[in-house]
Amino acid sequence: MRRPLFVYISILLAILSSMAAANPVRVGHVEVAFLSETEQITAGKPFGSAIHFKIDDGWHLYWKNPGDAGAPPSIEWQLPDGFSAGEIQWPYPHRIDLPPLTDFGYDRELTLLVEITPPSNLPESRNVELRATIDWLVCTEICIPGETEVKLELPSGSSNLTANKSANHALFASAREKLPIENEDWEIQASTTEDELLLSIVKPNWVEGKLQSVLFFPEERGIIDNSARQIFQSAGERQTLRIPRDMNVHSSPERLKGILVAEPGWRGHDSEKALEIDLPIEPTEVIAGAKNEISGLWMALLFAFLGGMILNLMPCVLPVLSLKVLGIVGQAEQGRRKSLWHGTIFAAGVIASFLVLAGMILILQAGGNSLGWGFQLQSPAFVFVLSSFLFLFALNLMGLFEIGAVSLGRKAGVSHHAAFQSFLNGVTATVVATPCTAPFMGSALGYSLSQPPVAALLIFAFLGAGMALPYIVLSAFPQLLRFLPKPGRWMVTLKQVMGFLLLGTVVWLAWVLNIQAGGNAVVILLLALLILALAAWIKGQWGSIPLARTRTFTAATAFVLLITFGVSIGLYAIDKFGATALTRTAAEPSGPVWENYSAERLAELRSENRPILIDFTAAWCLSCQVNKRVALENDGVEKRLAELNLALMRADWTKRDDNITSALAQYGRNSVPLYVLYTGKDSAPQFLPEILTPQVVLDALAQVKKKSII
Amino acid sequence: MTRRQFSISTLLALSLFAIAVFAEQKAPETAAVTVATVGQTAPDFTLSDAAGKSHSLSLYKGKYVVLEWINFDCPFVRKHYNSGNMPRLQKEMMEKGVVWLGICSSASGKQGYFEGKELTERLKSEGFSANAYLIDGDGNVGRMYGAKTTPHMYVINPEGSLVYAGAIDDKPSTKLDDVKGATNYIVAALQAAMAGKEISTKSTVSYGCSVKY
Repeated sequence: MRRPLFVYISILLAILSSMAAANPVRVGHVEVAFLSETEQITAGKPFGSAIHFKIDDGWHLYWKNPGDAGAPPSIEWQLPDGFSAGEIQWPYPHRIDLPPLTDFGYDRELTLLVEITPPSNLPESRNVELRATIDWLVCTEICIPGETEVKLELPSGSSNLTANKSANHALFASAREKLPIENEDWEIQASTTEDELLLSIVKPNWVEGKLQSVLFFPEERGIIDNSARQIFQSAGERQTLRIPRDMNVHSSPERLKGILVAEPGWRGHDSEKALEIDLPIEPTEVIAGAKNEISGLWMALLFAFLGGMILNLMPCVLPVLSLKVLGIVGQAEQGRRKSLWHGTIFAAGVIASFLVLAGMILILQAGGNSLGWGFQLQSPAFVFVLSSFLFLFALNLMGLFEIGAVSLGRKAGVSHHAAFQSFLNGVTATVVATPCTAPFMGSALGYSLSQPPVAALLIFAFLGAGMALPYIVLSAFPQLLRFLPKPGRWMVTLKQVMGFLLLGTVVWLAWVLNIQAGGNAVVILLLALLILALAAWIKGQWGSIPLARTRTFTAATAFVLLITFGVSIGLYAIDKFGATALTRTAAEPSGPVWENYSAERLAELRSENRPILIDFTAAWCLSCQVNKRVALENDGVEKRLAELNLALMRADWTKRDDNITSALAQYGRNSVPLYVLYTGKDSAPQFLPEILTPQVVLDALAQVKKKSII
Repeated sequence: MTRRQFSISTLLALSLFAIAVFAEQKAPETAAVTVATVGQTAPDFTLSDAAGKSHSLSLYKGKYVVLEWINFDCPFVRKHYNSGNMPRLQKEMMEKGVVWLGICSSASGKQGYFEGKELTERLKSEGFSANAYLIDGDGNVGRMYGAKTTPHMYVINPEGSLVYAGAIDDKPSTKLDDVKGATNYIVAALQAAMAGKEISTKSTVSYGCSVKY
C-alpha cells in the first residue's frame, strides 16, 4: 500500500517544484511558458508538451515560413538521456501586411506543440527535469530577438493511472484545433504557369456549404509572391485557387508543400480551418499533347517545305501566282536558260524575304516582344500600307497608268534590271502570302519556336524554298505551260481581272483595319486611296512616254509626291485618330456563342471536364476566315456543337495580344489558325487541321460524343 | 508581262514594310517596369552618401558592385556587424577591386534612418568599411530593386548586369554563432564570377527584418 501514497507525494512535489521554476518567463514583449499536457509521465509513452507565448499587443511572432521578413521561433532541447522530442507542430498563421511586404505569423498568443517520448526504461516515481532553450524574433515594425531557458519538472508514474489530465487541458485542446488537418480525402491538383500556381480543389463530402475564401501558405520561402492577392473561384464542385508566383527567385519546385487556410472554416465557424498539402506540381507541358507531332529538325524542314508548296494554293497567294505564271509564259519566249535564271532569282527573293521575316521575329522576340507568323498584319500601319500598295498595283494592272518612265536601275542594263525585278516579285509574293497558313506550316513554325536561331532560320528558308519550287520547275520546263495560249490579248484581260481580285483584297484589308483601329481608320484609308487614285490618273494621263519630256517629268513628280503625301498623311492620321483599344464584339446574331478566350476561363472549363473547342483566329488570317465561314458556321456543325454542349472559345489575334501569343506557344505554335479540341475526358488536347471542312469538324466531334457517353 | 510595272510599287511596299515593323517595335515600351531582375541590366540610380556626395551606379561600370540593404538597428544586421562579419567582407572585397555600397531605405523617422553627424558617428562605431553608405529616404531605389529585408544583397558585374540577388548567407537567424559555418552567397558569387565561372546560386530568398519603407 505504499505506492499510492508515494505517488501522491511526488505529484505534490512536482507541483511545488514547477511553481518554483521560472515558468512562465517574461522577456521583453513576450511571456514564455513550458507546459505539459499530463501531470505525470510514463515510461515509453509519448506525451504532449507546449511552448506557449503570450505576445504583447501590436507585436507578432512568425510561422515556420516567416514570409518576406522575420524568423520563426526555435527550440533547442536539453532533455535527460533517453528522452526524445518530436517536430514542432505549427498552428496555421495569418498574413501580416507591411506594404510592400507580407509576413506570416501570430498575434497575441502562440502555442507550439511538441510530443516528447520518455525512455521505456524510465523508473517510476522520479522527478524528471526537462529543459529547453527557446529563441525568437518578436516584431512590430521593428524587431527584437529574444532568448530564454525554460524548464519543467514532471514526476514519472505508472501507466495505469487514469486521472492524468492537467489544468492545461483546455489550452492544448484549443492549440490542436489550430493545427492543419491531414489531407486524406481531398482531391487537389497543383499546376503551374509562367507566373501563377494553380490549385484545383474538390472538397470531400463532409465539408458542407460553400467555402468563401481560401489562402495558401507555402512551407518554403521564395515560392509565391507573399503580398499578391490569391484568387479563389468556385465552379460547380471544383474550386480553383490562383496564386501569383515569386518572380524574383528562379526556382521551379517539383512539389507544392504548405497549408490551405479557409475562412470561416471548412465546416463553418469554429471548425477546422487549415489543411496540410504536399502535392506534385504538374508542369504546364501537359497541354502540349501534340508536341511530338514533329520529332526532329529534319521533319520540321520537310513540313516547312511541304507547307510552303501548299501555300501557293492559298487564296492570298493565288493572284500573285497567276501573274507569275504569266511572267513565265513571257520569259519562255526568251529561251529556257533565261527563264530558269529568272525563276531562280525569284526563288532567291522569296527565300530572302522569309529569312528577313524570321530574322525580324527572332530579333523582336529577343527584345521581349511576343510575335508569330503574320505579326506584321497586327499593325494597323502595315495593313494601311499594304492596302495602298495593292490598290496601286490593281490600278496598274487595269491599265490606268504605266510605270516605265520612272523605272529604276535603267543605267544598270536591261538584264540586271530584270533580275532585280524578279527578286522583288519574290518579295511581293511573300508579303502577300503572310495572311495565310497552309497545312503542315503551323506545326513547322511552332517547332521553330523551341529551336536555336539557326534552326529557326533554316525552317523559314525551307518554307520559302517550298513556296518557290513550283516556279523554278515551271521556269525550267516552260513546256508544262503549253496548254496556255500564246501570249497575246488574253493576257491583258487576265491582268485586268486580277486587278479586280486585288481590289477585293483591299476591301478585305479595310475590314481588318476596321477591327484593328475602328471606322475612322477606314475612312482615312479610303481618303488616302482617293489621293493615290488621283496620282495614278495624273501619271496615266500625262506621264506616258510619247508626250513631251517636261510634261512626263512633271506628271511623274506629281505622282511620287501625291503618293508620298497620301500614304504619310494616312499613317499619321491612323496613328492619331484610329481607335486603339477596340475590342471585337462577338455579335453573332444566330448560332452558338463563342466566348472570348482567357487562360483562367479555360482552366475553369477544363477543371469541369467540359469538352472545349478553341478557335485561334485573326481577321487578317484568310485561312481562318475561310474555315470559319465554310466549316465552323456550317449548319450541321453548329447543330452538333450545341447538342454536345461544347464550350466554345475564340482567341482573336487580329491585334497584338501577348496572352494569345503565349497561349499559342503553350500549344507549341506561333501562327493562326489553330483549332484546339478538348474532348472532355482526356486531358490532352487534339488539334484540328489548318484547313477545315464541315466533315473534318464533325469527325473530330464524334470523339467527344463517344467519350462523354462512357 | 512588263516587269517594270512592279518596280516602284514594290519598292514602296518594301520601305513601308520597314515602317510598319518599326511601329511594331515602338509599341511595347509603354509596358516597361523597372524592377531589377537577375540576368538583366541592373537599373541605374543616383543617391547621396553620408557626406552628401552623390553616387550613381553607372559611374561604377567596369567594376563589380555589391549593394547591401542596411538598417543598423535590425537584429539580423546586428548579427553581421557585431560579429564583424560584414566589415570584414567589405574590406576583403574592396581589396579585390569590388565597389561596395550600403543602401538604407528606411523612411525618415523610422528605424535605421540616420543622417548627418549621427550617421557618421554610427558608421565609425560600426566599423562600416564600404565605399559609401547611401541614403534612400523615399525608398525608390529599394522598391526598384525589390529590396525586402535587411540585409538584402545584390551583386552587379562589370557589364552592369545583375548577377546575384538575395540573402547574404544560408543561415536565416539572428544568432552570432551562425555566422561561422554559413555559406556566404556573396563570396561564392564574386569568386565564381571573377574566375570566369558560372555563378551556381544566382538568386535566393533574402532573410532579415522588413525594410522600413
